[in-house]
Amino acid sequence: MKASSNGVKVKGEIFVIKDRCKGCGFCITNCPRDILELSAELNANGYHFPVVKNPDNCNNCGLCEMICPDFAIWSVKKEERRVVEV
Amino acid sequence: MVENTRKLHPADYFLYTDSIPSIWCPGCGIGTVVNTFIQAVEKSKIDFEKICVVSGIGCTGKVAEYLNFMSFMTINSNVFNFAANIKSENVDLKVVVFSNNADFLVSGAADFIEITEKGVDLIVIHTNNILYTITEHGVIPATPFVRISVDQNFQLPFNIPHLAESYGAKYIARWTPYRAGWLMYSMIDVFSKKGLSLIEVISPCLIYHASNDRMGDSVERMKFYDKYSVIRQGECTENLDIRAHNKIILGKFVNKK
Ligand code: SF4
Ligand code: SF4
Ligand code: SF4
Repeated sequence: MKASSNGVKVKGEIFVIKDRCKGCGFCITNCPRDILELSAELNANGYHFPVVKNPDNCNNCGLCEMICPDFAIWSVKKEERRVVEV
Repeated sequence: MVENTRKLHPADYFLYTDSIPSIWCPGCGIGTVVNTFIQAVEKSKIDFEKICVVSGIGCTGKVAEYLNFMSFMTINSNVFNFAANIKSENVDLKVVVFSNNADFLVSGAADFIEITEKGVDLIVIHTNNILYTITEHGVIPATPFVRISVDQNFQLPFNIPHLAESYGAKYIARWTPYRAGWLMYSMIDVFSKKGLSLIEVISPCLIYHASNDRMGDSVERMKFYDKYSVIRQGECTENLDIRAHNKIILGKFVNKK
């Protein structure tokens, strides 16, 4: 993962409001890091919603949040100190 | 997956959340347009109490219902006049019009021309969905050549950016909802413009594609429009027709002071 100049890795945490999702899959195809996948279960309206399959790689780019037509997914910045090896 | 503890999307502040999920079909671009609009408002740090949203009929008409700005939903064919009247009485408001083909090409084009000529300060976000949704196979002035028209429409499609430029629009851009980032920066640009600015969003209707049995899946549709579009900034607006064998040209075409 890319580290920003001050030695802090930018990571994102994904939140999903599953009952708003309509299962269009835009967030899944748009994610450049292949973080999301469709769930096996259904939400209240009968759609498959996205779940996070590999949470450590998300870089908080926000593309999934920007493209979602139904305001169901968003990412929040979560910073992590880089471990300095001595 | 992180359990959803906050229960609040960052855009919820600008929405009537009671009516979400929206009425739009799964994977319709209008939702993305609204989402990017909210993000553009947030990013540009414009005073959101100074924004007024006007929409007309049909699917984009619902935009005014979901957005928690000062918003109006008006009758067919009157959307541009209505917005211009609001602007003339409230000079410090930013008036944003969400129009579609029924509001614009079919019955509001004369008003649009008049308003653009006068240089009224409006932001028009035009969602071009290539057909009337209500009448599934309806052909309208924006229906492209044979590729799309179910009824084998042989008219030349109407070139909306060219119309706007000929009458003196100050800012013209065209994107698809799938280029949400570009679309958002265009929206941020137009908040600082004086005079009419037009952003055309090519967001083909799901109903058309589903009924035509070509691309039922929203993701396939997204990939199709990604593949058949090309970004050419500053392209002459005369070349912007959407034709059968050409790629759809996207970009920012006009940006005047
Ligand atoms: S924030 Fe970016 S990297 Fe993270 S899930 Fe969304 S699209 Fe993928
Ligand atoms: S983009 Fe939004 S509505 Fe579509 S699958 Fe992802 S979370 Fe659901
Ligand atoms: S009918 Fe077409 S334009 Fe209307 S919400 Fe559905 S896909 Fe979008």
